[in-house]
Amino acid sequence: LKRTLPVRGPQAPTLSELMRWYCLNTNTHGCRRIVVSRGRLRRLLWIVLTLSAVGLILWQCAELLMNYYSASVSVTVQFQKLPFPAVTICNINPYKYSAMKEYLSELDKETKKALETFYGFSEGKSKVRRSVDDWNSTGSDFFQHIPLLKVEDFSRTATDLHTGQKRKIEGSVFHKDSSIVNSGDSNDIIGFQLCDANNSSDCALYTFSSGVNAIQEWYKLHYMNIMAQIPLETKEKLSYSADDLLLTCFFDGLSCDKRHFTRFHHPLHGNCYTFNSGDNGTILSTSTGGSEYGLQVVLYIDEAEYNPFLVTSSGAKIIVHDQNEYPFIEDIGTEIEPAAATSIGMHFTRSRKLSKPYSDCTETGADIPVENLYNKSYSLQICLHSCFQKAMVDSCGCAQYAQPLPAGAEYCNYKKNPNWMYCYYRLHEKFVKEQLGCQQICKDACSFKEWALTTSIAQWPSIVSEDWMLRVLSWDKGQKLNKKLNKTDLANLMVFYKDLNERFISENPANTLVILLSNFGGQLGLWMSCSVVCVIEIVEVFFIDSLSIVLRRQWQKAKKWWRNRQQGGLGKAPQAGDPERQGHDNPVCIDEDLPTFTTALRLPLPQNSPLPRTPPPNYSTLHLETAFTEQLPDTLELDQH
Amino acid sequence: MNLKKYLVRALHRLQKGPGYTYKELLVWYCDNTNTHGPKRIIKEGPKKKLMWFFLTLLFASLVFWQWGILINTYLSYNVTSSLSIGFKTMKFPAVTVCNANPFKYSEVRPLLKELDRLIEAALERILQPGNSSEDESPPLDLELWNQIPLVLIDEHDKDNPVILDIFETNQTAVGNDTNVNNDAAGDNETMGNKIMNDFGAKPTCSHQGSDNCTYRNFSSAAQAVTEWYILQSTSILSKVPLHERIRMGYQAEDMILACLYGAEPCNYKNFTQIYHPDHGNCYIFNWGMDEEALNSSNPGAEFGLKLILDISQQDYIPYLSSAAGARLMLHQQKSFPFLKDQGIYAMAGTETSIGVLVDELERMGYPYSDCTMNGSDVPVKNLYSQYNTSYSIQACLRSCFQNHMVEICGCGHYMFPLPEGVTYCNNEDNPGWAYCYSSLRSSIKQRQICIDSCKETCNDTQYKMTISMADWPSEASEDWIFHILSYERDMSTNVTLDRNGVIKLNIYFQEYNYRTISESAATTIVWLLSSLGGQFGFWMGGSVLCLIEFGEIIIDSVWITIINIIGWCKGLKQRRARARYPDAPPTVSELVEAHTNLGFQHEVPGAVPRAGELPPEPGTPPPNYDSLRVRPPDTLGPDSNRDTE
Repeated sequence: LKRTLPVRGPQAPTLSELMRWYCLNTNTHGCRRIVVSRGRLRRLLWIVLTLSAVGLILWQCAELLMNYYSASVSVTVQFQKLPFPAVTICNINPYKYSAMKEYLSELDKETKKALETFYGFSEGKSKVRRSVDDWNSTGSDFFQHIPLLKVEDFSRTATDLHTGQKRKIEGSVFHKDSSIVNSGDSNDIIGFQLCDANNSSDCALYTFSSGVNAIQEWYKLHYMNIMAQIPLETKEKLSYSADDLLLTCFFDGLSCDKRHFTRFHHPLHGNCYTFNSGDNGTILSTSTGGSEYGLQVVLYIDEAEYNPFLVTSSGAKIIVHDQNEYPFIEDIGTEIEPAAATSIGMHFTRSRKLSKPYSDCTETGADIPVENLYNKSYSLQICLHSCFQKAMVDSCGCAQYAQPLPAGAEYCNYKKNPNWMYCYYRLHEKFVKEQLGCQQICKDACSFKEWALTTSIAQWPSIVSEDWMLRVLSWDKGQKLNKKLNKTDLANLMVFYKDLNERFISENPANTLVILLSNFGGQLGLWMSCSVVCVIEIVEVFFIDSLSIVLRRQWQKAKKWWRNRQQGGLGKAPQAGDPERQGHDNPVCIDEDLPTFTTALRLPLPQNSPLPRTPPPNYSTLHLETAFTEQLPDTLELDQH
Repeated sequence: MNLKKYLVRALHRLQKGPGYTYKELLVWYCDNTNTHGPKRIIKEGPKKKLMWFFLTLLFASLVFWQWGILINTYLSYNVTSSLSIGFKTMKFPAVTVCNANPFKYSEVRPLLKELDRLIEAALERILQPGNSSEDESPPLDLELWNQIPLVLIDEHDKDNPVILDIFETNQTAVGNDTNVNNDAAGDNETMGNKIMNDFGAKPTCSHQGSDNCTYRNFSSAAQAVTEWYILQSTSILSKVPLHERIRMGYQAEDMILACLYGAEPCNYKNFTQIYHPDHGNCYIFNWGMDEEALNSSNPGAEFGLKLILDISQQDYIPYLSSAAGARLMLHQQKSFPFLKDQGIYAMAGTETSIGVLVDELERMGYPYSDCTMNGSDVPVKNLYSQYNTSYSIQACLRSCFQNHMVEICGCGHYMFPLPEGVTYCNNEDNPGWAYCYSSLRSSIKQRQICIDSCKETCNDTQYKMTISMADWPSEASEDWIFHILSYERDMSTNVTLDRNGVIKLNIYFQEYNYRTISESAATTIVWLLSSLGGQFGFWMGGSVLCLIEFGEIIIDSVWITIINIIGWCKGLKQRRARARYPDAPPTVSELVEAHTNLGFQHEVPGAVPRAGELPPEPGTPPPNYDSLRVRPPDTLGPDSNRDTE
């Protein structure tokens, strides 16, 4: 039953003893082999094996630690009643052209004149020409700042639209269309020049390879200038009303009307109408898929009211989005063709990423240093736009028209900020080239909903139904509209769920602490049959015990040296049995309340020889197996007898 | 007695290792177990012993806690998904093509004659309310009308809306007994200035009497007329036998003008005809019902399916469907095409190219997720099984609805297949069916029941389509193309086709034609065992054997208890018997020890041993340190020898 050990860890007289003791008694497997093996080669082999096992453990555990923050993806499909998304519908043309006449007449005249001057295009109406002439006489300097220019063959001369004068171009030339393809042919290029108002030598010329782009871009620039001065209420009136846009509405088998739509004013698209915006607190849901149970609307496009220079395509734009998402209709809208039935089947996917430390995404956007100018939930798009707007306000002193206003700022217009266009173009270029740092600051949102759309088009109304359909729809539109509707003024739109399966893609942590520890345990066990206990043992033996031995020996040396000095080289052997000395010598022994007498006697021994010839006293037996104390006195007595 | 002796001996032999008291047992266990902590407890000094005791306890509880977490994780049946994308030879999807219009108007006109005249007259009244031209020669058959009339609801005055039957001049103010179903346009005070004719609310009354009526409101006349027409024509057509309906629909040879699959020509005979209630005759290519499904092993339009269809728009039923085009759908082999849900349109006069990506989701069934492999465990009778098609969630939902319809209204709806022994609803046999149907259709409860009882399939396949369109035929090629196609179809030199009828379709696999998300169990039993082992090993260096050791100790302690109890009983008996003896009776353990353990005699040093055996020489002599120290490897020898002695 008894196990006698020559020495215990801390009492081991030397380090090598300690090591030997450790190796024999440790729970890890390799060490024991080292001590037990005979023959140098075999011992060496075991040392190498043990060390490589330790190395492997360290390596594998490091790998485990490094891969700790990895995520696994799970996809679940749930078949359930689905919330219907918000559907925002805009006419492509923002404002009724007839209502805008008073604001835009000058700009339009200017544009027409440019067309005539540069391309010889005229509408063939004397009226137009006359009005152009009128304009020349009235003479507003409004457009003179930024005239359209005809650049001739890179000779750095340009023809001004009004004066017809050629002037030298200073500053850099930007090709708005393509930076890659340099239009090297000798065609005249049209563009416009933006100058820094404070420093007129700092100019940038924006040129386009096609006059269509140039004129549209130039028109838009002035248009935004004008629109920025009109207050929001007026603009809402100028745009389409819900009655104008929506002819019929049908949702989930029931009729709906304009009260199911919320108005939303978009700076570039005018009045847009959001179906199921959730503003009244309820969000509609669908419990049946299929085209009959979705949203079916007939839109009145009213092509006659289109602005000929601002928009060149006709139809409507829709976007399917979540209720608390901002509809970036200009960026990700789907266009709807007139005189056709557009059927849009949706498939709902929800995704969720793990935020830090797994990936660099943001849950709410609260940790992004960009103020959210839209009162909708965070998205990358919102962040980029807000970031740009902030930079715009900071550097140009006014806000860009297409984005919401930050507190205390106002929209740029030519009267107050004559410099803004130049500033805007410069800034926008920086933004696109990622020099503003917005792309670095903004992170993507961790969770997002996505509606995958399948769009298909059918002819509508069909030839045979066209007649009655148009008649009835004209009647629906109201008696005030006496003319029969044209089918190119109408668009039919169906938005529905293809199926009620919701795909939920989520990231889950691949590892938990429990699994990590299990893997550690597996590695430790596999290579060395080690455990935390072994680790504690190692700490105990290699640090605490070794240190105590080293300290003890140093202390003894010091003591010896001191005594030698004191006693004047008497060469007396150290006083044996000095309890105090013993206590200092072996601090561990003080802890143990067992007899120290004999222990003290023997301790200095190792200094003479590593293997004491005389048997050490029973001290180990003394504290050995304290559980057997009842038994021990007996043996002790016998011994002493 | 012999037996008892034998048992005792066996017992003693058994107990030789662990010892005879709990303490001995514990010490023996701690010393010999393979778990790492306990050994430390007994091999250290008192203070460290305490520390190790608590450490061991801590580690043991940690191990159990973590085991609990691991087992919990295992029982939650998590899955991990793996995604693969690429191109492989795959079954070409089944392609269903239909005409948006179900029947040729020329064929159904006799049936719908009355209805059409009625609606024309009604439209006339609506559009020109003043001059009602009553000069039509045949009087209108108002029987159809009277069942479900179209009315005009003037909700100018919100509290008593005025209801105006289109064919009658008298205005009826709605009393309280009629339930105006103001679902959509109930509170339209905002529409004040417009003469609000919430047009076309059609009261559908249940057949018991007129007191149970609902008005279905429509904000638009166009919609009201269409809905009304669909309802009426449904009722008329449901009486027509199926073969007759098939005859009235578009025939394959008329509709499918040209077909090319890869390099191989195909024709309308390669299509399987199926009757679809919404779209009449539909034709399915590559359905895989009779023959093997076709494979496609090349991406690109050249290797896909090319079709030229004619939808003959002139022959459309004017009031039934206002959108013109072909309806098509890609679906799996042997599944029923639910065109209203998944179908797309193709416009006449265009070439529509559809690039296909097969998006598959393969899931594991119970207990990992709640899905069904083949629908056999869904409590809804699948009515679409009569088409020999596989289970799908749409089939389940529709079957569920039809079953409810049959249960509540007593007849089946025309749009869905019929269960055994039930007929379709029509106005003659089931006068109240329209009311019953619309109340059932708008019932949220019924839908929820169906949603709850239907389960999605485990293998969800979607065909992601990239659709693009171009005008076809081009103006230059128009003439000869129409000529050839007409000639091939009708064997005549007259051009019978025009831009408003022809459709070209290209359906092909994209460069990457599959995206498969497949699930695998995140936690298997192997994972669980290795994690459990890892935990146990990590904290205590233990293994299953250690658990067995522990179990052994428990058994041992039970043994000891038994021995103690036996001894105690004996002692009691003996005490009673030797009540007259002055000295205290020996304790049980003493007695037991006395039998075997030679080292235990010292307990009462002065006392004379009582038991039969004399105290032998005390224990083993203390170890020979000298030898121990000089040849350490040998120290084990005597030890183990002594143990096994």
